[in-house]
Formats: sequence, C-alpha cells, structure tokens
Amino acid sequence: MIWLTWRQFRVQALTAAAALAAFAILLAATGPHLASLYAASGITGCHGGTCGVAASDFLSRLAVTGPYPIVYLLGIGLILIAPAIVGIFWGAPLIARELETRTFTLAWNQSITRTRWLVVKLTLTGLAAMAVTEALSLIYAWWADPIGKAIGLLGLGNGSGHPWEGQFSSVVFATHGITPLGYAAFAFTLGTATGALIRRTVPAMAVTLVIFAAAQVAMPLGLRPHLIPPDRTIATIESAGLDFGNLTATVVPGQPGAWLISSGAINAAGQPVSDLPAACQAAFSGLKPTSPGACLESHGFREVITYEPASRYWPLQGIETGIFLALALALAGFCFWRLSRRRT
Amino acid sequence: MIEFHLDARSGVAPYRQLIHQVRHALRLGLLREGDQLPKVKDVVAGLAINPNTVLKAYRELEYEGLVAARPGVGTFVTGTLDGGSLAAHGPLRRDLTRWLARARRAGLDDESIEALFASTFRSASEEDIA
Amino acid sequence: MRAVIETDGLGKRYRRRWALTDCTLSVPAGHVVGLVGPNGAGKTTLLSLVTGLLAPDAGTIEVLGGTPGAGQAQLARVGFLAQDAPVYARLSVADHLKLGARLNPGWDAELARGRVDRLDLDPGQKAGTLSGGQRAQLALTLAVAKRPELLVLDEPVASLDPLARREFLADLMEAVAEHELSVVLSSHLVADLERVCDYLIVLVGSRVRVAGPVDELLAAHHLLTGPRRDPATLPDGLEVISASHTDVQTTLLARTSGPVLDPAWTVSEVALEDLVLAYMSQATGRRRRDHHHLEVQK
Repeated sequence: MIWLTWRQFRVQALTAAAALAAFAILLAATGPHLASLYAASGITGCHGGTCGVAASDFLSRLAVTGPYPIVYLLGIGLILIAPAIVGIFWGAPLIARELETRTFTLAWNQSITRTRWLVVKLTLTGLAAMAVTEALSLIYAWWADPIGKAIGLLGLGNGSGHPWEGQFSSVVFATHGITPLGYAAFAFTLGTATGALIRRTVPAMAVTLVIFAAAQVAMPLGLRPHLIPPDRTIATIESAGLDFGNLTATVVPGQPGAWLISSGAINAAGQPVSDLPAACQAAFSGLKPTSPGACLESHGFREVITYEPASRYWPLQGIETGIFLALALALAGFCFWRLSRRRT
Repeated sequence: MIEFHLDARSGVAPYRQLIHQVRHALRLGLLREGDQLPKVKDVVAGLAINPNTVLKAYRELEYEGLVAARPGVGTFVTGTLDGGSLAAHGPLRRDLTRWLARARRAGLDDESIEALFASTFRSASEEDIA
Repeated sequence: MRAVIETDGLGKRYRRRWALTDCTLSVPAGHVVGLVGPNGAGKTTLLSLVTGLLAPDAGTIEVLGGTPGAGQAQLARVGFLAQDAPVYARLSVADHLKLGARLNPGWDAELARGRVDRLDLDPGQKAGTLSGGQRAQLALTLAVAKRPELLVLDEPVASLDPLARREFLADLMEAVAEHELSVVLSSHLVADLERVCDYLIVLVGSRVRVAGPVDELLAAHHLLTGPRRDPATLPDGLEVISASHTDVQTTLLARTSGPVLDPAWTVSEVALEDLVLAYMSQATGRRRRDHHHLEVQK
C-alpha cells in the first residue's frame, strides 16, 4: 500500500520537490549577501538607542536594494498559497478521483480493507504535505532572519510599514513558526473530505479553494485576536506614537514587539473620538508651536490600546496550529465515516 | 487430436453435440483406442463454453464405455463404436432409396420429405425412451 | 456442495428507493452463475453486496461462509471485475501487476506474468492506452492471479466488440477450468451468458424472479400451444409465466411440475432466452399483443 500511495503520488511529490529546490536555490543565492548586509549595518553589538537607528537604516536601505523586497514578498506569498495548492492538488483528488474513475472497485477489492487503504494514503500524503510546507517556512525563516531581528529591535510587532512585516502581521504569523503545519494539514484534509463528499475531482478542488481561502482570511481578522483574550491598556497620547489621521496608536508603550490589535482615542470623559478636536486642528497643521500630541494631552485625551504582548507569540502559534490540526483530524474522521460500506 | 465445434442454432444441447462429435470421430476412425480427447481447458478455451458441459459429455462417454478418465493426465479412448462400415448398411440404403421414390411420386417436395422424416424420427425416439 | 453465496431477505436502499428487495438465494459452488436482468434491476447492487463494496440495509448475506468485505482474508477469497474494467490510466501494465503483488498475500506472480505474455500485453504500456478488450483482460488477470475462490464480474463484455467478447469469455472459461473457480457474471443480454453459464438468476425490478441450474430450469419450463382456453380451465400443476391469446389459439410458457397429459396441448422445449424474457415480461407486467412473440428465434 505504501508503494501504491507513492506510485500514485509520484508526480505531485516530484513537482513539490522541484519547487522546494528552486526556492531553496533562490534563497541560497541571495541569503548570504543579506546576512553580510546585516553584519555591516552595525546592528550587531549596538547599544540602547543606536540599535533603533541602525535597524531603521538597515531596513530602509534594504527596501530599495536589489531583489530583497521581491524575494521577501515572494517567499511569504509562496508559503501562504502552499497549503491551498496542497489541498487542491493533493487532497481533493485523493478520494474523489478514485470514486470518479471507479478505480476504487480495483483498489478496495485487493486483499486490503478500505480502512487501511485510507489510513496509509491520508497519513503518508498528509505528512508529506505538512513537511513540504514547513520546509518552505523553515528555509525562508533562515533567509529572513536578519530582517526579523531588525524589526524586533524596533519593537514593532506588526511591522514597520515598508514591505517588512512584523512577526504578528497577519501574513507572517501564518507563514512562520509552526502554523504552516496546521494550515497544510487542514487544507489537505479539507480537500480529501470535500472529495469524499462531492465525488468529483474538479468541483472538489474548487470548493476546497473557496473554503480554505475563507478560513485563511477569517482567522487573522476574526479569530486570532481572541485566541487568548487580549490585554487592554490606557496610554498617554505621546507614548502611543499616534497616527493623527485616525487617532490610532502605532506603538504599545512598554511592550516592545507586541501585537497591536486595535486602538482608539478617548476624550477626558472617556468617550471614543475618531477625529482631532477643533481645538487641536491648528496644531496638526503646524500653525501653532505646540505638537498635536501635547495639545490632545492637555485636553485630557488618552489612547486605549488592545494588544497581545510579545510573550504570547508562541502560545498563540500553538493554539492556532492546534485548532487547525484538530480540524484536520475531524475532517479525516469524516472521510472514514463517509467511505464506510453502507454509503458508497 | 480432434477439435470440437458448436452449432448454437441446432437446438441440440451443447454437451450432446460434443458426444455426437466424439462418436462420429470414432466411427470415422479419426479417434482410435488409446487416443487422448482434448483437455477440458483447451475445449473451453476454443469454444467459450462452461467446463461442466465438457465434463458432462466426457462422463457420459465414460458411462457408455467409450472413454476413460485418468486423473491428472486426461481422458482417453477405450472402446470402439460398433457401427461397422457404411457399406454394411446396403439393405437399409436400398429400402431408403425406394421409400424416397414413393414419397416423390406422392408429390412431396424436399422440405416435406425432411419434415416427415424428422417428426417421425422424433416421435419414434420418444416412444423408445418412454 | 457448499453454498458460495447465501442470502436471506437481502435488501439495499438508496435514499428512498429499494435497489434490491427481499433477495433470498443459495448459490452452490463450482458453477458459472449468470445474473441477468434489465439495466437498473439491481444486478450491480447485488454484486457490490457480494464483494463487500456495499453493506446491506435489510437481511443477511454470506459469501464463502464469511461476511463480504470484512477483512483481508475474506477480500482475498473474492475477485472482482467491475463494469467497464476500471484501471489506473497512468500506471503501466507492469505497475498493475506490482499493485496486485503488493496488496495480495496470495498473489501468484507466475500466473500473472504468464497471462500477460499469452495475451500479448506490453508490460510497459500505460493502462489508459489499452483497448477495451485489453483492459478487461488486465482486470481479469488482477482478479484471477490473487487466487480467489469466487470471481465476480459485472457486465464484463457489455462494451466489447464480438471478437473481444468471445476471446474474453473463452479466456475466462479456461481460467475456470484450470483453477476450479466459482464465477458470478452479470449481463443484460442472455446471449452472452448462454454458452458459459450453468446456473441462472433472473433479477427484474429489484427482485429475484427465478434462480436455479440451467438444466433444471430448461427441463421444468415448457412452451404449450393449444386451442384458445379460458385461463380458469388450465390444468393444475402449471405455473404460467407468460401467456398470449389469439382468437383461436393460446400460447403459454409455463413451469411444469410433471408431464402435461392433456392431448390438446402441444408441448415443446423452451430456449433459455425465451425463458428469461418470459420472466422479465411477467415482472414488468407488459402485455404482449404480438402472438408471435414466443417464436423460438435461433
């Protein structure tokens, strides 16, 4: 059964290996130079305030240097779509194609029960899916390590707004650490389950894509902020690094590298405000000598910030991965139930 | 080694046709004592019929004393058919020729003669069995 | 002789429709069983239940004394060739043999290789490029080389040209003779089955209409023609399967439990095809207007 799984999976496996190799070559070609740029930037061995400046300089220069922004974004994009590719091309056909072409009459009448058939196919292909996706993530993490360190020094959990994203940004969180394992397992078993349900390969591929994309969007927007109840703090205007356009914070004071989930200004009475009061408009335009921040503070304004501290990075990773792995197990269980002899 | 053929349209059961063909071959001297009959699997491979059909035919031939099965080897001819040569049937042939002439004088055409012969033959055979 | 298939009140339902109803059979071993019936009668359903691809919704079924599909040992004893002989298009002939070898403990590699050689199949050829007849032969090789006790084939020759059909059946009979297999094969054409089957099951409208050895069935059914009769005045011991009347003549196809002594009836033998057609028309209740319908067409 192991041989048969491999033989049926051969083309997909070799394609994945080729893609992985190509990506690795690209990273190997550009990685060492990136590392040397980092070494030359003076970030290593910096102290206190100079670190922030050195990091900022390094990142701004990198943003306009050669292939680095492109490779950076390409890598993130690749790891983001890898689970979807796996779900569509490895997961959906696994059961659907056997049902559609009726080869299950061949497979399930050899001296092997369909339970064993499914166990071997799901386990081997699923593990391969998880391994490939995580491998992509790990080699990319090695390449992007200098950038991550620099952003860490700036204490920006969300990112610095150039192309460079922080560890909590919605695209990076799903492509670094262990979350790729969960996404790959989920996408793969989603594919097999829709295939078992719909019994036609192409429609199963389409449905898998739609559902997985929806999940990929829903998690960072709706669920991730609530996986661990976030902390809430009320900070002074000055310390929050306010963006005066919409009065949102850009920094969580005292929490370097934290994930800034949401923020908003409140007036002296505690009511939320989203625009500069008339009194401080002039300060914003630069017509008055005082800074807009000082103006707001003098009126008793403060900033409410909802955030997750940086220390919760790995717990959040674990919970998110755990959720997707649990979903994957449930979907796999569905496949077994769906294929039981009463139904097909 | 003789080769069997089957007439699917003759109305005669396949196993009977096989028996007839063996007996016919014995009469014509195509099969002699000690010769082997075709193996069951070769017969069915050539004719696409059920092996039990061939086995039934061979069993009946064995019952008639014409062949004997040797397990693991095959089925072999052991007896002969006591039919003599066609020449010995001279008187019967003459009677038949005379009868045919009478039938023609009575106005029967070829088909009627065959039908008359077939139905009389059948009812006579059934009376024999009854 | 041990029964190779034993069912009692077997039934299978798809949503609300019963595809197989109240099926009670005791099929003896050592036969080539023909399962005949119109499309949609339930033949594939019954065969799927025999091979364990489906589980019953009513009644019980035992194959070779075991539960169909329940575990490796039972699966090894039953070989299956599904309709249109599905094969893995991108795997080669040799790959399929390897599949058989890896997934069947009882695999007879020499038998498989011998068959592939004899059938002139190119081991390196992708199965998707084989002709219909070659695919059927490859699938049959896979089914036979695992050395089953029972071989089940679902409409194996339906989509084959006459030459391929004859070659397939001849090859199948040779395998039966050589390995002493029991076989169940289904078809919607009696002509396919006539040469090779010695046990018949007629399935119409999800029910078994008649089942038994072909010899016995042919001996027990007769065609009776005679002057026009009121149905109530028919002799006892006759189970009329189909009847047609003109103004002067009555023709019956009946199951007789003894000889018909009434001299008014002309009794003649029935061909297998007419017997099956009679049961099919009885089941579907079609009234025949054409009084020539039972003419033996040979």
